[in-house]
Amino acid sequence: MSQLAETNPASFPILGKSTKELRVLSDSRHLSLSDAEWAAIQAHYKTLKREPSLAEIETIAQTWSEHCKHKTFTSPIRYTEGKKTRTIKNLFQETIVAATGALKKPWCLSLFKDNAGVVAFGKKWALAFKVETHNHPSALEPYGGAATGVGGVVRDILGVGLGAKPVLNTDTFCFGRPDWTGALPEGSHHPTRTLRGVVAGVRDYGNRMGIPTAGGGIWFDDDYRLNPLVFCGTVGLMPRWAVKKEVKPGDLIVTVGGRTGRDGLHGATFSSANLGADAPSSAVQIGHAIQEKRVLDALLAARDKKLYGSVTDCGAGGFSSAIGELGASCGARVRLEAAPLKASDLDSWEIWLSESQERMVLAVPPKNLKALETVFAAEGCELAVLGEFTKTGRLEVTHHGCVVVDLDMGFLHTGLPRAERAAVWNAPASVKPAGGASKKPSEALREMIGHLNVCSREWVIRQYDHEVQGGAIVKPLQGVRHDGPGDACVIWPHAATGDMEDFSCFAVGHGLNPDYGRIDPYWMALAAVDEALRNLTCVGADPARAALLDNFCWASPEDPKQLGALIRAAEGCRDAAKGFGAPFISGKDSLFNQSKDEKGKDLPIPGTLLVSAVAPVPDGRKAVTMDFKGPGNALYLIGRTNDELGGSLYHRVLGRTGGEVPKVSPAAAIDGFKALHAAMTRGHVLSAHDLSEGGLALCAAEMGFTGEFGCLLDLDECPRDPRIYSNETLLFSESPSRILVEVKPENESAFLRHFGKSAKSAMVRRVGQTTANPILKVTGLEGTTCLEESLKELKEAWQTALPKILG
Amino acid sequence: MSLKLQPTNVHLIEVRLKSEFNDAEGAAALALLREQGLSSLKEVRTGRLYEIAGSLSANQAHQAGKELLCDAVTQEFRLVSPAPAPMNGMNCWRVEVWLKPSVCDPVGATVIEAIAEGGLPKPAAARCATLYLLNGRALKAQIEKAMIKSLANPLIHHVVVTEAHS
Amino acid sequence: MKKPQVLILRAAGTNCELETANAFKSVGGDPELVHISELRTGKKKLMDYAILAIPGGFSYGDDVGAGKVLANQVRHTLTDLRQFVRLGRPVIGICNGFQVLVKAGILPHSNSCEQSASFTVNDSGKFETRWTHLRINTQSSCLFFKGLPEMIELPVAHGEGKLVLRSPRLLEDLKKTKSIALQYVTEDGKLLGYPHNPNGSIFNIAGLTNPEGNVLGLMPHPERFVTLHHHPNWTRQTYRKAPVGLEMFKNAVDYAR
Repeated sequence: MSQLAETNPASFPILGKSTKELRVLSDSRHLSLSDAEWAAIQAHYKTLKREPSLAEIETIAQTWSEHCKHKTFTSPIRYTEGKKTRTIKNLFQETIVAATGALKKPWCLSLFKDNAGVVAFGKKWALAFKVETHNHPSALEPYGGAATGVGGVVRDILGVGLGAKPVLNTDTFCFGRPDWTGALPEGSHHPTRTLRGVVAGVRDYGNRMGIPTAGGGIWFDDDYRLNPLVFCGTVGLMPRWAVKKEVKPGDLIVTVGGRTGRDGLHGATFSSANLGADAPSSAVQIGHAIQEKRVLDALLAARDKKLYGSVTDCGAGGFSSAIGELGASCGARVRLEAAPLKASDLDSWEIWLSESQERMVLAVPPKNLKALETVFAAEGCELAVLGEFTKTGRLEVTHHGCVVVDLDMGFLHTGLPRAERAAVWNAPASVKPAGGASKKPSEALREMIGHLNVCSREWVIRQYDHEVQGGAIVKPLQGVRHDGPGDACVIWPHAATGDMEDFSCFAVGHGLNPDYGRIDPYWMALAAVDEALRNLTCVGADPARAALLDNFCWASPEDPKQLGALIRAAEGCRDAAKGFGAPFISGKDSLFNQSKDEKGKDLPIPGTLLVSAVAPVPDGRKAVTMDFKGPGNALYLIGRTNDELGGSLYHRVLGRTGGEVPKVSPAAAIDGFKALHAAMTRGHVLSAHDLSEGGLALCAAEMGFTGEFGCLLDLDECPRDPRIYSNETLLFSESPSRILVEVKPENESAFLRHFGKSAKSAMVRRVGQTTANPILKVTGLEGTTCLEESLKELKEAWQTALPKILG
Repeated sequence: MSLKLQPTNVHLIEVRLKSEFNDAEGAAALALLREQGLSSLKEVRTGRLYEIAGSLSANQAHQAGKELLCDAVTQEFRLVSPAPAPMNGMNCWRVEVWLKPSVCDPVGATVIEAIAEGGLPKPAAARCATLYLLNGRALKAQIEKAMIKSLANPLIHHVVVTEAHS
Repeated sequence: MKKPQVLILRAAGTNCELETANAFKSVGGDPELVHISELRTGKKKLMDYAILAIPGGFSYGDDVGAGKVLANQVRHTLTDLRQFVRLGRPVIGICNGFQVLVKAGILPHSNSCEQSASFTVNDSGKFETRWTHLRINTQSSCLFFKGLPEMIELPVAHGEGKLVLRSPRLLEDLKKTKSIALQYVTEDGKLLGYPHNPNGSIFNIAGLTNPEGNVLGLMPHPERFVTLHHHPNWTRQTYRKAPVGLEMFKNAVDYAR
């Protein structure tokens, strides 16, 4: 690096260089440019009859990076499924965007183009939601990586429209199992350390910013041990008028917030590279939450005074990306010497590309500059004018009068050559369950309830301030002792709206299960959407108004099998969105999540899709929690149970493979959810909890020990595939779309009416009742008790699993 | 980032929790270091080090330590010479964890601002380190290894381990 | 009737100011968010207000200690705070605000305004959010607690909330002057350890007042219990208690009228 810094930064000769030479160049500077991309750049400069500058190459490399351009999702793919081969021109457009377009929901206000998706929230407000990943930085430095992940997604929300006020953080992680005892390659952190560091990073940044962290989840699987996944999500609210943004030529380019330093160079291009020992340390940063809080306070004050026309955040690629995007349709002229710096010895390209945190860029009409300066000075937040937006269609950057970048916006944003990739998918043959010794239901249940993917997350949740802003009216921890597993949080955003009379709320739910994806990513995607919507419905959100976000985390798309699986998942998203009538409004992908293990063998992560859903809770005072409310109440099971134990937790604890992966029927599912929602709005539901990992048995146990009441269930009453003859299947199958509901005896007929009239295909049946004695007692198909467990003991196993490891 | 400042302009202020107060951070650090094999470690106490560069005099640095960096009830502070002489440790170790110069130091930024607001000359730079005082039998190499496996990350941190009086 | 003006103090990193303002507004107060820089420049004056609230958050990131930097600013900038207190006007410091009041020497009350108490990291070593059972000291004359039941519930959320005192004698003084306003207790009123006492505070102290009862500092967050629906158990039909946080703000506003 130091050698290059000494050469003249104005010139970076590439003309006439061989492919091999360019590859070396690419590697040494962490540019991650492919041969075809180099060829396009060479051709462009050949027509210009000059060599590029270093800053230009860096600008192109980051603009064309996987991180910024999502090449995999937008480039042609030759896709072979079984014996058929077809060409996908643009996976993103043909799946996610197509489904959303077909749904034409009038309440979608901004889709895919801005920094977050935006939907209507009541008449006056707009709700923005974005989930980002910060996987590679969190693998290298868990605390700093996770903290700056939170900082980054919060800036996305500040940079959507004219800026939204963050009202909720939601963070989901995939880690290696913390009890890993095997070897790890040099430079990798033990999964326990990663977990502790990531939780601490999310905690410290979120708590300091004053944004409640009240949603998310954790999934453990040894294949994440080298590549942990850290999904950071933020919901924000803004007035409807602030959704639109516009840059006008003549507007000043104003940077606000943190100073620019050498930290975080090459974050964008680095995220497309395999993790290895040679990772640049500059890609890791420590966040400064209070700096970002100052930006938040000043920015929203300036927004309400309407002092600027557009805004975006400085994320990957720094100024280069932020200004390049804002000025994409007009042009921009930048003078780098105006940027406030952390150190005086930065090179031009470093200032231009630095990914220093806590910075935003605004487009400000010159007449408003004085007023803007006053607002930012009052909050102790620095501001500098870097240049102006132009009509030239060019990106022109100078440093002390020297030209650093002079690029055509057209080439920069559309010049990327699209390489065709190959993908294959072979449908798995239906495999009969095999292997693993059978266990008694009671033994299996006890093991499952203390399993890392099910057990209590209290150790994590309590470290987050989930009550700041006074809006969490359904909290992540529920029940008599405030420690049960809620399906979702319900947020009453009065701190943002200023209106304590209005109880319009919203809820956020998630779905994720890579074990299903190991069998078929298509059904994994449908199951993830189903789970996210189930969770929302359980707390009282309106499933007909749900909006979805996708986050794909995958291994290398250069492997045709990996890419084939990714296509399957994307097609699952498409069909789920259409089937459930729930549009995707935003999404992100993170690829190349694979690393060499200690033996030098590639360890890819399992293909992972996180679906996040947000929906309004029309009246938060009608929200529902999952704890049993009293003895003698009827228990109804919504949804049909099939023999779907493929990828289930039951199979995992038995060590069994094969079996049918859970398959969603979206039309039947959404009918059931809507009927339940209608019953909730009438106050006919006491508690509701979805059936997910571990099936009916785990669901009933959790509702019981959280409410401190027991229950009697009769498996013969379960709506089910008549071919099921096994109690274990009915207890532990993970068939989707199912919810267990507690209803007061006097409300039973009113409750059932919601299902009779509006939703013929939904299945609902009384399967038992709650009892005063805290025992889970289940009658099997043969009419005798097949399971009888003390809820107190189950709760203890559920509560102690994580603290035992983490202390 | 090289500050190229005269050594006389750099003050190192050490702040420690008084021994009569329970050090929960130290207890957590002890547990982590024991997990990493330092099983004969008996106690860890924590503190902060502030390196402040600029035009502050020694008296002014003392004032900053007293009024701003140190809690009047729970903590004690002292100005340390930049290079403390190695001492016969008697199983006492001093571990400093500094952020590398290229890494953003948010606490340092706050300290600069707060010193200036307190009416003292604004420092040119300030960095903050975490201080761990280890009590128990261990080898320097073991401590270094345990630190980078638990409390410090060599990618962003610079760890200094020295023998010290308790 | 004129609405009492409430100064809600802001600084970089304050983050509970909006819900605190909403709480004051809903009980008839007229809250205004004022940045400490506006008080420093003299653009705003403390004495123009009837009530002062220092809300929760992480002022200046709690770098160099929770509330420490803001406490220094309060000492230097709010020089009329002692007079404000002497005039009997209500002052409430919540969480970070309590830490500020203690480190600025306002609580525990002393004639010299010297800091005599402080906070250290929770004994658990972790930041924790949880609802706590609390007992109000019915002997104390703290105006914020007028008419409230002895046993209440409020949530805490902090990492550095363990109250410590300069000397054991001070605890006896605090008892004598009825300055201990609030203690962490079990559901049936016992003084027990973690998790009932979430941070390990001496004598389970959760809040302090001055002998006159017009200043209150507390770690729990009353602004997070201003509607029934804030309580974690409102969906359980057995739970029907009034939101005590709202009553505390109402007491201050009524008193200031």
